[in-house]
Parts: sequence; structure tokens; C-alpha cells
Amino acid sequence: MRACRELGISPIAVYSDADAAALHLRYADSAERIGPAPAAESYLSIDAILDAARRSGAEAIHPGYGFLSENHEFARAVERAGMTFVGPPAASLEMLGNKLAARRSAQAAGVPIVPGTTVPVGDDAAGLATLGFPIMLKAAAGGGGRGMRRVESEAGLVDALASARREALSAFGDATVYAERVVAPARHVEVQLLGDRHGGLAVLGERECSVQRRHQKLVEESPSPAIGDTVRGALFESARRVAGTVEFHNAATVEFLLDASGSHYFLEMNTRLQVEHGVTELVTGLDMVAWQIRVAAGEHLPPELLEAPRTGHAIEVRLYAEDPYDGFRPSTGRVTAWQMPQGPGVRVDAGVEAQTDLPVEYDPLLAKILVHAVDRPAALARLRRALDETLIGGVQTDAGFLRWLVDQPSFIDGRYDTSLIDTEWGSGPDLTDDEAGLAAVAASGARASQQGRSKPSGTPEQSAWSRLARTEGLRP
Amino acid sequence: MSGYEVRIGGEVVEVPSDWRLEWIERESGRARLVGPDRSVLVVVEGHGSEWIVTLAGRRIPATVRSWRERQLADSEGAAAADSGPVLVKATLPGLVVAVRVAPGEEVAAGDSLVTVEAMKMQNEVRAPRAGRILEVAVKAGQTVTTGATLLRLE
Repeated sequence: MRACRELGISPIAVYSDADAAALHLRYADSAERIGPAPAAESYLSIDAILDAARRSGAEAIHPGYGFLSENHEFARAVERAGMTFVGPPAASLEMLGNKLAARRSAQAAGVPIVPGTTVPVGDDAAGLATLGFPIMLKAAAGGGGRGMRRVESEAGLVDALASARREALSAFGDATVYAERVVAPARHVEVQLLGDRHGGLAVLGERECSVQRRHQKLVEESPSPAIGDTVRGALFESARRVAGTVEFHNAATVEFLLDASGSHYFLEMNTRLQVEHGVTELVTGLDMVAWQIRVAAGEHLPPELLEAPRTGHAIEVRLYAEDPYDGFRPSTGRVTAWQMPQGPGVRVDAGVEAQTDLPVEYDPLLAKILVHAVDRPAALARLRRALDETLIGGVQTDAGFLRWLVDQPSFIDGRYDTSLIDTEWGSGPDLTDDEAGLAAVAASGARASQQGRSKPSGTPEQSAWSRLARTEGLRP
Repeated sequence: MSGYEVRIGGEVVEVPSDWRLEWIERESGRARLVGPDRSVLVVVEGHGSEWIVTLAGRRIPATVRSWRERQLADSEGAAAADSGPVLVKATLPGLVVAVRVAPGEEVAAGDSLVTVEAMKMQNEVRAPRAGRILEVAVKAGQTVTTGATLLRLE
């Protein structure tokens, strides 16, 4: 919506009952209600969103990066309603939305794929054992780590398959599952693309996304600290080839796994804005959302953008309402205190503010903190500083994990892979005596001040006023 | 500070005497701890004896009791060391997707009892200890709120 404003477009927001007071509505010129809190009846309801668009006279719909952003039926319905879908053609979405079909076409384009099946796995899981354990079961219609199960041995296979199917069906309405051999240790690196309607394709660098829990990213940075120009060149070439398998115009991300030897394997292509697009914006200086809108409107990508130069190093950390000391379980409640970092080179994209109830219905992402600096050590120092300024009350977040991470030798050296949380964090370090002592100061101090036991040592205002009162009283 | 005993994770913690709390914004719980050579930002929430201190991103529950409260608790504690039925409650609001046990069934500590889906994630509710299931209070397909009783364990 900020991009719309800067382009002179009037933005309209939609909201469900759970979000009637949400922050995004204040950035819009107007807002349309699309239904009750459950996403299926609001943010996932194509009819409700199209009705809202017609009511408000919208010309184009930007689908964000969750919910319907990769739904080909939605894209088609938008096109049929005579509006512009800010995204790729519906047919491309349909093809890429099926991860299995995307695997097959990437393979056909000469791009290495993770060893595994290119056809759906049957209920009897026949033939999977020959892949070699451990294997990963994935939902063909999937994304975001849902419908995924790691299987260590043949014994757990049937149960895991049933459970992956159940989750896939409930999350995507499609129980088709395929299998890949687990690549470990692995890094997760993705390439950002931007295409126009005229065949122009810009490769906007890569993002390293190896800090993950439950296959969801927590930290992203660009450039990747782990690859050199040879691997980078190979990734870019593979990304171009995958992009060539579909007709697309929009922002897109091609995701790869890298093994210890630096070989890469295609995972999937997302033809939408990613949560972590800000990292690329910082190193390229581009507004990705603005460019999505411009290419959707038919603009050509200018030649200088095709070889977009990148400067410095950017890191993003995601603040989630999750408890990293308890397996990153989602936490709910009301955000009471909310203090975000500021200062040079720090950007905060936040979806909440102080005194906000977190709706149970949606993703627990609270905010993204991004830093940009001249190189990686400077970006790390800036991130450390930014996290020290961050203060959230009311709900447990992953802020403590992120602050810990920035001091980890493996992270500082860029020698980390997707197993970092499991192998190095576990459920977090024990409380130190120093931390326990400080918490005790806080708790006993708060109780004392509540009961008026300890005389308040006086806020500056109070002392000044009492001093004034005294001096006034002394006047003749 | 004035005879309070602070417990964190069940252990008594010594309160450093050279630190103090200053509220920044009482309503939201934002405060700073001021020590001899530095200060630290915290959020403090709670009332009475139960407090939660957010320090360096971590929520730390702390129990603060006066001398009188401690005397009282000690005499009650001696009487209340029995082991009656336990209620297994939902720790998250969400949708019950599976109930894995029936009344009368014996379970071991750690056995999966109920699966609750919240925030698109399936969470297993496990038996806090071994015992027999007395009652199952929920069905698959039902929505539960935090603290709702899922079942009763003997």
C-alpha cells in the first residue's frame, strides 16, 4: 500500500472481523469487510474478495504473499471479472502450484532436482524404500512446510504418509504427496526473479534462508555467505531455466537446496512476493511491490534493471509469536509492550503494534526486522544492536532466539545449515544466574511498587514538582 | 528487597541489591533495570505474587512472596501433597483433529492423547503422567479454547 501511494494509486484494503482494527487498514484509502474471522470465509473466499473489489471499483488486485496469492482459480476469477491480477497468468500458477509437475518440467529443462519421485506416492508407499532413508514426504499442492513429514526408516513410513496426507488435505484441499531423499547437511538458497510481460527477466540476486524451524524460514540474508561466484552463477543459470518453463510476469523466487559439496537441487518456484523480499529490496534499492504493479500494468523492465547491481549486505529476522524455549510452539495473547528498533540501516515491517490481540486464526508472524550495511560483519553488528532495542511484552516471541543466534560462531562465520536450530539451539540455553538475578530484581521491584512498600524513588517529573512546590511555599 | 522471596523455576533466587527497577510506562509494563554500570530494558507483567519478566526476549515467570505468604504456603503445602485425578487441558486454542484414547484406557507418561490443530500446525497433547483415562471431554472436530479441559486422568 505504501508502493501504491508512491505510484499515485489509491489502495483499498480488505479485512475480516478478526482484523477490523488491524494496522494495514490505516494505510489504505478505504477498506472493505470480506467476512468473519475464519480464513476460509474471508481471506480464502474468492467470491467475498471479488465482491469487495466490485463494490469498491478496484482495477487491480494484489494478492499479498499468503492466502490466495498462488491460487490459480483466484487469478482466473480476477481476470474474468475484468480486473488485473498482480501476478503471473492463471495457467502458470496452476502449473507451478503443483510441485510435482514443476519438478518434472525443471528436470526436463536440465535443472538438477532433489532425488525422489516425479509421480504421486501411492497409499502403499511402494518403491519409496529404494530412495534410501531418510526421505521427506511433501504435499504436491504444498508450501510453507505444511503437509511435510520426514521419515527416518521404513517402519514409520505408512503412518507418516497418512499424517502428511491428512495435513495436506486440510491445508490445501489436495492429499497428493510426493517423496524426496533428504539432503543433509543442506543449505536453502533462493534466487529472486522479476519478469515483465514482454520476456524481460531480471535476476536480482540470491537469498540465504538456512535458519529454519519446521521448514519455515526465520532468517534470510543476501548475499549468501556460503557461496562463491561459481555456485552463484550456476544458481542464476538454473533459475533462468526454471523461469523459462512457464510463461510468467511478476516477482518470482526459485528455491534450491545446496549440499555440502555446493551442488544445487531445484526445490520449487514461487510466483509471488515472498515474505523475505525486503532483503532483496535493500541490496538492490528496488521496491518489489511497485515493480510487481508496474509489470502487471504492462511496463517493460528497463535494461539497467536486468543486471541490477547489488550493494552491501542485508539480513532479515522474523519476529514470530512463538516460544523458542518450547519447540517454537505458537503463543497467543495480547501484545502489551511493543518497542521496535530504529536508527540508520534498520527497517521494520510490522503487522502489529502495542495493545493488539493476536488472532488465533492466522500466521503468528508479528514483524520483520531488516538491517542493511556495507558488508556482513557490519550488518551483523547492526542486527545485534537492533535486537537489543527490541522489546515485546504480553506474548512469547522468538526474539531471544534471534539475539542468541547473532552471537553464535557458526552464524557469525556463515557456516550454518538447515539443522542449526536442532543441533545448536535445542530448546535454548538455561537461564544464567545473572539473568535470573535481573528477573528477580524486576519481579520483586514490580511487586514492591504495586504495594507501595518501597517508596517510589521518584520519577524526574515528581521530584521536579515537589521541588517547585517547596520553593513556591518558601516565597514570601 | 524488603523481605521478598523470589522463585524462578521453583528455585529461590538471590535478588542483587545494587539493581533497581524504574518504570518507563507502567501500563504496558515497560521498565528499565538500573545497575551499577549498565541498564537493561524489560517488560514486567503480573500482580500479587505471580509475575512474568521479559528479559532479552525471554519470558521468565517469577513468584514473589512476602514472609507471611511463605509461612502460610508452607503449612498448606504439608497437607496438600496428595495425587488426585489430573485434568489435561488445552494449552492452545484450536481444533481437535483426533482423540487417541477412550475412557478406561491405561496410558503411559508421554503418550499422545489428543491432537489439536492451531495456526495450521498439529500439536500432540501428551499424558503428563501414567494413569487410567477417567473421562474424555472433547470430540474430534470440536474447537477448544486455552485452558479447556480435554480429559481427566486418574
